[in-house]
Amino acid sequence: MMSASLARIITTKTDLFRQCCLPLLLLVLSLFMSACTTTTVDEFRQGETGIEAHQSIVILGRRQGSTYETREEFVTCVGERVARGTEAIRVIPEKEFIDSLFPWFEPRTAPLRTSDLQVLMEEPLVAQKITEYGIRYIVWVDGQTETSNRMGSISCAVGPGGGGCFGFGSWEDDSNFDARVWDVSSFASVGTISTDSTGQSYVPAVVVPIPLIARVEANACSSLAAQLQQFVNGG
Amino acid sequence: MSVLNSLKKLGPLCVALLLSACGANSVVVEGSYPSPNVRPIPLTLGVYFDADLQNFSYTEYTETGKEEYVVASGQTHMQLFNSVLPSMFANVVVLDSLEAAPGAQVDVVFAPSIEEFQLALPQKTRLDAYEVWVKYNMRLLAPDGAYIADWVVTSYGKTPTESLRSVEAGINDATVGALRDLASNFTLTFRSVPEVSEWLETKGAGN
Repeated sequence: MMSASLARIITTKTDLFRQCCLPLLLLVLSLFMSACTTTTVDEFRQGETGIEAHQSIVILGRRQGSTYETREEFVTCVGERVARGTEAIRVIPEKEFIDSLFPWFEPRTAPLRTSDLQVLMEEPLVAQKITEYGIRYIVWVDGQTETSNRMGSISCAVGPGGGGCFGFGSWEDDSNFDARVWDVSSFASVGTISTDSTGQSYVPAVVVPIPLIARVEANACSSLAAQLQQFVNGG
Repeated sequence: MSVLNSLKKLGPLCVALLLSACGANSVVVEGSYPSPNVRPIPLTLGVYFDADLQNFSYTEYTETGKEEYVVASGQTHMQLFNSVLPSMFANVVVLDSLEAAPGAQVDVVFAPSIEEFQLALPQKTRLDAYEVWVKYNMRLLAPDGAYIADWVVTSYGKTPTESLRSVEAGINDATVGALRDLASNFTLTFRSVPEVSEWLETKGAGN
């Protein structure tokens, strides 16, 4: 019979494993078990850039296309990352800006060219709101993530003795996003940053499915945001 | 006895579950609409929402003709107009009937109605989006009921499918998108409708 003290030691060790080792193990597993992603960033500069501390930018998603629209979550992700770090830039949240300037930045009414922005700024209420926000640059993000090459299948079954899955699945994600930067002070396009991120995800299943997901859109977001931050700061 | 009692208690629950499987899913559209940033027209507008608009609902049927979704959007349409019109006109008065207009000291009466509502569900279109298309008839009348203008406005809204989004939430978001599109289109094109433009000139509010 196990003594009470030995049982306590085993229990304590189990608790210690749960508290310290298990989260660490899960972190290490999650780091190693994500699939590989390749990201390419291109920058095309058309003019000088720079931003002062009291100025801000707004990042808006293009939603005029009939086949796709830029996801709000991606635009938010880029905005949050641009607003972080040592070279952080003040970013006006997309929804707040669009609601505040309603109905001028809706999918049907948003300016498609810098000349449209110039015409729009002749509206006193629009010019006043943009001045109040201190907006120096409007960044238009356009793109999507497409999934292709889906292969394999996974079958799962449950019986009286338990359950499990068996099989293998994989797919490829491709994120393509452009960020066009408009200078509000000169009504000119000052540059475009493009990002292309691809990655293959795998889900092998032997009793338990183990997803090895390529974080394609997240990588596209961080790469685009880092380059955009540098671009706007004039780097 | 205890088994019988349990069965008696479970009986109504089973019947309710069976009945719920037969009925259509109801979606009461809810959304918030910002006020437009436009110069208000210095006139008093009377707005009349008829019973058809107030209680408007659209029923989507399955391929076998059964009711699948009932989309109730009458209340949210009224909410939209109540948000948009006060920014477009100096004063807005909500009328209980068209007959009440002459006594309400209004310059003009606006009576919107929905002519057509279409819903496209991803499971039927095989597209990755919920889509809503609405056709409206906008009427502008003098307080005595005389014709001023009558024009059609269409609106479109869509929202992409997402893993954890329910069909009801998809329909709601696409409808709210269509209503925002209506608000932006209506607000920005109102002055350019030929009959409206002519009428505004006669009232000295053309520019």
